Order: sequence, then structure tokens, then C-alpha cells
Amino acid sequence: MSEITYREAIRDAQREELERDPTVFLIGEDLRDPWGGAYKTTQNISNVLGNDRVINTPIAEESIVGAALGAALTGMRPVAELQYLDFVMRAMDSVVNQVAKVRYMSGGQAKVPLVIRAQGGGGKASAAQHGNSLEAWLCHVPGLFVAMPATPYDAKGLLKTAIRMDDPVFFIEHKMLYMTKGDVPDGDYTIPFGVADIKRTGDDVTLVATSRMVLYALEAAAELEKQGISAEVIDPRTLVPLDEAAILESVHKTNRLVVVNEGVERCGWAAEVTAMVQKCAFSDLDAPIERVCSLNVPLPFQPDLERYVLPSVADIVRAARLTMGKV
Amino acid sequence: MESQVSWLDLFRLMSRIRHFEQTAFELYTAGKLPGFLHLSIGQEATSVGACTALSADDFMASTHRGHGDTIAKGVSVESAMIELFGGATGACHAKGGSMHIADFSQGILGANGIIGAGIPITVGAALSAKQRKSGQVALCFFGDGATGIGPLHEGMNMAMLWKLPVIFVRQNNHYAESTPRHEYQGIPDVVRWAEGYGMPAIKVDGNDVLAVHTAVAQAVARGRRGEGPSFIDSETYRWYGHNIGDPGTGRPKEEVEMWKARDPIARFRRVIIEHNVASGADLDTIDNEEKARMQAAAVMAEKEPKPPLSAALDDVYFDRELGSRAIQGVRV
Repeated sequence: MSEITYREAIRDAQREELERDPTVFLIGEDLRDPWGGAYKTTQNISNVLGNDRVINTPIAEESIVGAALGAALTGMRPVAELQYLDFVMRAMDSVVNQVAKVRYMSGGQAKVPLVIRAQGGGGKASAAQHGNSLEAWLCHVPGLFVAMPATPYDAKGLLKTAIRMDDPVFFIEHKMLYMTKGDVPDGDYTIPFGVADIKRTGDDVTLVATSRMVLYALEAAAELEKQGISAEVIDPRTLVPLDEAAILESVHKTNRLVVVNEGVERCGWAAEVTAMVQKCAFSDLDAPIERVCSLNVPLPFQPDLERYVLPSVADIVRAARLTMGKV
Repeated sequence: MESQVSWLDLFRLMSRIRHFEQTAFELYTAGKLPGFLHLSIGQEATSVGACTALSADDFMASTHRGHGDTIAKGVSVESAMIELFGGATGACHAKGGSMHIADFSQGILGANGIIGAGIPITVGAALSAKQRKSGQVALCFFGDGATGIGPLHEGMNMAMLWKLPVIFVRQNNHYAESTPRHEYQGIPDVVRWAEGYGMPAIKVDGNDVLAVHTAVAQAVARGRRGEGPSFIDSETYRWYGHNIGDPGTGRPKEEVEMWKARDPIARFRRVIIEHNVASGADLDTIDNEEKARMQAAAVMAEKEPKPPLSAALDDVYFDRELGSRAIQGVRV
């Protein structure tokens, strides 16, 4: 095992897959060295493997994704990077009408081995156009798989799996996780999609959280423990497909659920999980399911305002206590 | 460049497309076809001249008005006709319909319901051909409507930047849906745009199948030599409105009549006879064969079974197990 950052995990997964499979290539804005990507997730790849494998593009998101699709349909295995998840709005026709649907609309003729990477989330005072959490939009699109790792181990293993899959994967990283560290195995490994990871076991309340919110949920669980409340933290790791069984099993044990997601609350991912659990485990629940999400406003610039709008550890603690009947 | 293509093959393909679309028009107006129908009648020379300059394994992407392009590139008219009816054995297994005919075995990356969406896909296919050193080229058709859309410009820039074997073929039929050119295009001649991006760009008489073929063949050769993209503005006309719901009455009657008098098929027929390549009777035989084939295809296609409702859940994902979980979720 080695301790590496989340950024290194993303970079190593790409470099190792490029070395393993000559049909893999990277395509996006500013990927080549010396810059190596706006968040340095492709650093020291073009230097080593050459510019043929790492393609810098014009700033043209719809065509970056569209061209990656064209390559995926014709024998290549591209990894396209959108510099910010927010920029997917510029590429939405390519992502939704083309990438996600071409297999279906062609009656199963097309195979789309394509990964679209992007980083989202707030916390950097990047205001409302560089800090969105849009995973719910992407989960809403039939034909895409959606991965959202929280740790270096999960990031590397899931990205390798995504690159080897023959379906399109939207792979969402978090800008505030790139410097976080964790252990990863030294050799090659992959993590299957649709398998949640229990990040902490507990008995009183289940916290289902995604991406950076997994770290918040773990902090909240530590605080709750001091207050005599035992919280279980579940990271689904892939939102589509979702490991419903792991969530239901945990709720069966704890009888209480808090869903934590950084997207705005309205019509968000947490609502989907809430609906699923109330339908499948209604009799297990001892309290209404709580959601902890961003407020239903654009992300403000000023750091205090931004912190106010984003979910916090205190919000999660409060929600968990609420499910315990403690205000 | 001297064309190697058989004139009678060109004539037959144009006749095939004309009869396919006329048959589809009759079926649609008789209430037998669901969905939309966008006819390209009048534009056959552009579809056929361009696609016959490609090899079977070259790539092509088309538009919502894609019957002619896809038939010219090799989709079987029977499977296309079944698709129009929504039959289970149609070209896209009843998931695509008229606007989205695809046949990957023929290099057809799909007709496309979104204006201009095929352009970046074609650029990517050409990028892939270059990366794989396969010698393939990729041709994208687009209509007047796409001249106003970003991906055309993004695609021209990328193709030029990376010297990709892309052939941009504008099916210049004078209208973006129902809007005439002077209401959507800032300059009268988009060839200048393509030249501005640095690629060779020419206008051709899009109703002259040999002229289109020659122009595209030169662009293909250029692409295969690694010299990059080309742009062809093929001026033609569609006889009908934007779709079946648009009678096309917004267009001057004299304009429509003038273009009908330039019918690319009748015109090529005269050329063939003038050059003693075949007689009028020979061409009538070809035309009648294609007409009979289409009538038989329509009768057959109407009888083809529709897919079972469960087919709605098929082919969303390649990975059946994960895909099934993504589609179904948990059921209790």
C-alpha cells in the first residue's frame, strides 16, 4: 500500500490505463504538460506517453464530448475531461442526446466505451458558475452510469473500471478532495460499479453520503459518537447503478436515515434515495428521513455565504439528532 | 479526377431513394407510419454523389432528413422501411424511426434528430481513423439549419487543427426548416467561412450527381493523403416542406417549379442517354425495378411484427446486469 492523494489516484488510474490499452486516450482542455490539467489530474502523462495520447482541445465542450463519442463509436476508448462540471451545460446535447442514447436509438448497434470526467462542488469561493453539484441531472439520464468517488482508493479503482467498461460513464470528482490522502494498493486493482462501501459502522442512524459529503458524514459520526449516538456511514460510490441493498440493509438495522448530498435539495439525488427507502423499507423507519443538501439558491461567492449554503458537518449532526428525536 | 463509378449504379441509387421516399410519403399520408417524416426528394444527387465516393468502411453521419444519405451509404431499404413502420426487425429495432436510421456495419453513425450534432461525432470518427492509422475518412452531411449552430464552427476548427480526414458536405437546400437563407445567414456564401478556417472549400451543383461525386472523391483523396478536411457546399433543393406537417407553401411557387425542372434524376437520365451509356428503355427498367422493390418492401414492412413491450428496456446499456439494475432499481 502507498499513501497518495486523490489527485494522484485520478492521474495514476489514467496513466496506467493508457499504458495498458493503446486505444485509450485523453481529450480535453489544458491536459498536456507542463500544465497537466486545471487541477493537475493529467500531469506528467503527455510528458511520458506523448501528445498523441493526450489531446488538448479548443474550448468547445459540446464538440469535445461529441468528438470523444465519435472516437468511442469507431474503435477508441476516450477519456474526455470537462474542466468544471458546470461546463457540462455547454455539452449537454452531446452528453444527453448523443452519448447516452446512441446505443438505444440504434437498436443496440452502438457500443460507447467513453468516460467523461469532471470535477464539481463548492468550497473554493468559485461562485455560482464553477461550484455546482449537478450529479442529479446526470443520474436523471437513462443510458449513463454515474460514479462519484470520495477517497483515493475508490477514485483509482472506479476510474479504472470506468475506462474498461463498454458503456458511457460520467465520472464526477470534487475539487476539494484533490489534496486529501489515502492508502491505495501498489498493483492494479478495480472496484465494481454498484457496490457501496460502508465507511463506518454504527447502530443508531444511517448516513448515506456522496463525494466530499462522505468526509463530512464521517466527521459528523465522530461528533455524534461523543453525544452517544452511533452512526453508520455509507458511500454508494456509484450513483447509477445504486447499491440499494446496502442502504436498505443498514436502515433495517438503524431504523433511521439521513441522506447527505451537496446538490441543491429540490428534486435532488437525496430525494431519489428518500423515495426508494420509504417505498422499500417503510416499516423499518422509526423517524422521517432527513435530507441534508445545499440550499435552493445559486452558490454565492463570499466564503461565509458559501459555507452557509453548502451542507455542513453541523447540519448532518443536527439532522441525525432529529431522527433520534433530539433537537 | 476521372470517376470510376458506374453511371447506372448512380442512377439506380437515386431512383431507389426517390421511390423509397415517395412510398414513405404515401404511407404516411395514408396514416400508416407513426412519428415525423422529413423528405429529401430533390436532393438525391447530393446523397448519392457523395456517398458513392466513400468506401464501405468509411464513416458517415447524417441529419433528421437522412433517408437518402443512409440509403446511399448502404442501409438496406427493407430494414429502413421496417424501421419507419416501427417493426422489430427494423434498422434500429424500432428505437430510432425515420429521423435516426443507423447502420454501423455500413459506417453509418446515424441520422440525427439534433441539428448539427453529427458534426462533432464525425470529427471524432476521423480522429479515431487517424489515431488507428486506418486510412478511413468521415463525411458529415448537414443542412442549412446547421450553418447557424456552434458545433459546425467548432468542428471545422478542430478538423483543421488536427488535420483530420473530414468531408463537410452542406446540403444547401436554401431553407432552415421554413426560414429562407437571408433570414438566418449573415453572409450569402458559407464557403467563405470554411475558407476562413483554412480548408479547401468549393460550391458544387448539388443536382449534378457527377459533379458532387467528383468533388467528394477529391476531398476523400485529400483526406486519405493526410492533408486534412474539405468543405463542399452542394446547392440543391427539397421539393417538399420541412416535414409532412409543413406543406411548404411559404416558398414561392415559381421557385419550387424552377427546382422541380432541375430534377437531378431526370437530368442524369438525359446525360446517360446523351452519352449512349444506356437507353431510355434500360433506365425505365431500372426505375421500374426500384419502384417494384419499394412497393414490395412496404407490403412486407407493414406485416413485420412490432417489438414486444419488454423491448423498451433493451439496449440501454451494453452491460446487461448493471444496466438492468440502473433501469429497474429495486422492486419490492
